[in-house]
Amino acid sequence: MKQWKKPNTISMLAMLTVVLVSTLAVTLFKNRIDVADAVDPTQPTVAPTPIPRAWEARQTAAEHRSAEVVPLVKEVLKETPAQRRARFGDKVPQIEDIEYSYFLLNNPIIEKEGNLYGRVRFMHKKHAGILKDCFICHHHRAADPKAPDISRCSACHQDSFNAELPGRIGLKGAHHRQCMGCHKKWNRGPVGCTECHPKNVPDHTNLVKLPWNPKPTDVTKECLRCHDVQAEEMLTSTHWLWKGPSPFTEGSEKRIDLGKATKTINNFLIHIASNLPRCTSCHAGYGWKEATFDFTDKTRIDCLVCHDTSKTYVKAPLGAGMPDLKVDLVHVAKKVGKPSRKTCGSCHFSGGGEDPVKHGKLNPFLDFHSSSCDIHMGGLGFECHECHKTRNHKISGRSLALPVAEGSRSCEDCHTAIPHQGKALLNHHLNRHTEHIACTTCHNPFYAKCDPSKTFWDWSTAGNKKRKVKKDEHGMPDYDWKMGDFRWENRVKPAYAWYNGKVKRHILGDKINTEGVTVLTEPVGDIKDPNSKIYPLKFMGGIQAADAVHNYLLVPHLFGPGGYLETMDWQKSFAEGMKAAGLPYSGQYKWVETIMYIGLNHEVLPKKFALSCVQCHASLRTERSCGRCHQDKHEVDFKNLAFQGIDFKILHGKGRDVQERVESTYYIGFEKLGYKGDPILFGGRFKQLPLGWRLGSKKE
Amino acid sequence: MEINRRQFFGIAGTMAGGALACKPKKTQAARTLKAPPDPYGCLMDITACVGCRKCEEACNRVNNLPPPQVSFDDPRPLERKRRPVVTAYTVVNRYHTGKRDQRNQLIPTFVKVQCMHCQDPGCVSACIVGALTKKDNGAVHYDASKCIGCRYCMVACPFQIPAYDYHDPLTPKVHKSTFCYHLIIKEGGKPACAVICPVEAITFGKRRQLLGLARQKIKNDPGRYLDRIYGEHEVGGTSWLYISGEPFEKLGFLDLPTRPIPHLTETIQHGMFRYMWAPLSLFAVLGGFMWTFNRKQITGDSEPERKEGSI
Ligand code: SF4
Ligand code: SF4
Repeated sequence: MKQWKKPNTISMLAMLTVVLVSTLAVTLFKNRIDVADAVDPTQPTVAPTPIPRAWEARQTAAEHRSAEVVPLVKEVLKETPAQRRARFGDKVPQIEDIEYSYFLLNNPIIEKEGNLYGRVRFMHKKHAGILKDCFICHHHRAADPKAPDISRCSACHQDSFNAELPGRIGLKGAHHRQCMGCHKKWNRGPVGCTECHPKNVPDHTNLVKLPWNPKPTDVTKECLRCHDVQAEEMLTSTHWLWKGPSPFTEGSEKRIDLGKATKTINNFLIHIASNLPRCTSCHAGYGWKEATFDFTDKTRIDCLVCHDTSKTYVKAPLGAGMPDLKVDLVHVAKKVGKPSRKTCGSCHFSGGGEDPVKHGKLNPFLDFHSSSCDIHMGGLGFECHECHKTRNHKISGRSLALPVAEGSRSCEDCHTAIPHQGKALLNHHLNRHTEHIACTTCHNPFYAKCDPSKTFWDWSTAGNKKRKVKKDEHGMPDYDWKMGDFRWENRVKPAYAWYNGKVKRHILGDKINTEGVTVLTEPVGDIKDPNSKIYPLKFMGGIQAADAVHNYLLVPHLFGPGGYLETMDWQKSFAEGMKAAGLPYSGQYKWVETIMYIGLNHEVLPKKFALSCVQCHASLRTERSCGRCHQDKHEVDFKNLAFQGIDFKILHGKGRDVQERVESTYYIGFEKLGYKGDPILFGGRFKQLPLGWRLGSKKE
Repeated sequence: MEINRRQFFGIAGTMAGGALACKPKKTQAARTLKAPPDPYGCLMDITACVGCRKCEEACNRVNNLPPPQVSFDDPRPLERKRRPVVTAYTVVNRYHTGKRDQRNQLIPTFVKVQCMHCQDPGCVSACIVGALTKKDNGAVHYDASKCIGCRYCMVACPFQIPAYDYHDPLTPKVHKSTFCYHLIIKEGGKPACAVICPVEAITFGKRRQLLGLARQKIKNDPGRYLDRIYGEHEVGGTSWLYISGEPFEKLGFLDLPTRPIPHLTETIQHGMFRYMWAPLSLFAVLGGFMWTFNRKQITGDSEPERKEGSI
């Protein structure tokens, strides 16, 4: 026995050595190849990616900082705030001295004791700008005179109880007491746990008990075992009902029945009636293929489409919300967690049938780590729910294109109404703008940044199987014989309009404009309305069918058996569609032009790519100094101020087709918005700016 | 039922009185404080607590208690006064003492309730099989394997803490805070509630040091704290210490004597065993005594909230 065993052990050892050596050799060899690749001068230099990597640095740096543990300051200088201020004299630290404007509040010190919640994003500079006194938070300094006067929280606050320093509270306590204490005291800012933190979802691997190959509804039943309350909440949500309160739709403020499920109509795929299994493949439920779908059946809720973290869950395209048969539901169910860009995007990125068609500002690129498409999601890794705060499965946020809203979100919720912090001259001027123009007007100067978006859809030309499909300059087809003509656009300059938050909405059954274009959604607002601001909007044009007798828009039956895509027969399609929509069809149709406006609140660019002053105020281009309005100060670099902002030249160099906008002025077009001209020359909407007088008097 | 019980205990109480009168002095004088020399403790700063119920959540998790009916994120349970029960070893109660802030809103005060881990615990001395023991690290530890289910501890506890598995017919147990005994015996270990507390309202450390810390806090900020450390002397001292800005009587704290409870319970027990009274009457006597004792504390409290608060 012994003798047999010995050679075996030896041979195993030998084999192990061989394996190890060969692995090592392969690794070394591979590394060599990599190195050789990197320095090979014969290779042509590949054009750099259009994504400037440096944009992500802020997030990486913040992550890095939050992972550091600095040495503990044991002794602090005991002085009163007045003494401290006196010590500084007129060298009191200012907002301009801030080194890092953005922090992730987390630390290994906190993590080591476990954490129910994810880290908090802390807008340092914003807080400094509001408080205007660094010493409110940075309340003590180290006794060591060589130490910096202002240090981070974790320099003094570390472990929750240190027997050597019993009076000193720990880092977690310090953060919470400081933040919540101040927010409570001033009745401003969040105090609830999930208002700052995302909650960590416990690992469900061992909690979820499912048989092999369960039905989707079995998965939901398993979820319901613990989450019945959440299911109840879901049953009344707009993501489930596809209808709900429409507080921002003019004339329908009190209604609760508007939505895709009922009367919302658009100029993409028109309406869901008679097209259910296709349209409802994005419904957060299983099997809404007929109008008789039971909206009170909790087991039909699709929990996974939002809560999947495995990134393997997909719905079948024509499946009325059922998952693709290939999905391993047990695996997905065990990996449930917080929704992400990926899960929200699985429906919202592909509005209008497929990726980037509809929104012009939501596209799969947002899931990548790049701020050239969006500073929040791409650059700082925001998940959708971090802004779209959710309570009881009611998700805040609203849209121009859809009436339903369960609360609204705006940039100001985080950035405040005076978002440009600091004493610099420019900030003061920019903050004067925020009453009149939305943040996105400057910070979102063009849309469809990373993907072309459909801006025109002509259904009337559909049906020509012989027509040759051409690819446009973006590589997108200009025609589909089943769906008609399209126009795609890339890096589009938005339309600008006054908008006070209310929307005029055309709903199914409304009379069309027989004289001209029918507007499906339109922002309400006016230059004379103080609540209105200038917003950037996506403009979507279309040609769709209307009933020639009743003069309302028609719902076509497009998908599924007997649908237009199959029969190519409009008469049949309209008859079926209108039957499902519950409106009579006269039998005669005509093609009418429609337009709709879609908001552009995502794809916000980093601040250095916001519009500069001169981009809109052309009159500043010829100025050399601030002298037109102010007593001239020679130390001010006027050019640098007025020209700071997006440089389309750089973007063009990075491969973006924005050439026609290089050197553009009058970007938002004042005349179209109701101004006489550049407000610098002609005055603002409510008051004459002190600066217009020269030109004004010249004119008169 | 209530009246019957009352009558029953009333009679029992008289008997207890008799027993006490028999031989009180000698046993009392013979007894010394049975407290570990350097135990751990927790200092709860009531002025810092925000009532988030995270401590309840953490307690539920480390003790593998059943999931709660209402989520721990939900503030609704704060609407009534609760006591620790079999499924929750610690609870947070909200009190409105009448103080208002600048916006004229009532300022709530939150108090976390759990076993106080008394220095010389009544429950330990009442336990006739030694299922409850006071450990050197301060924890009052319950050993379910020794427990015979007599529930003397429940009657003996001045804070009405131990709860009993009445609905478990096979292996009923007494339930109360464990002081996370299994965690704190390890170096650097802390009770889960102290770890989770977001505002560090709970400080875990050596009791002696915590008393110093509490005194220091009171001294440094006399406007914020009342000059009293609840648990420093109450029933001979407890491992859990509280400091507050509101009078303790308004926050559901019992005004207890500084004498350890065993003085009383043991007096009765010794007295009774001397005369070889039947165990049943022993239970009755003990129960009656403690019941009237606690009752007095409760009814003596001016707060109407106490009514809901008592079990
Ligand atoms: S509070 Fe009650 S249960 Fe806890 S140690 Fe003291 S007497 Fe025992
Ligand atoms: S965790 Fe802390 S703050 Fe929250 S209720 Fe418990 S003691 Fe109070």
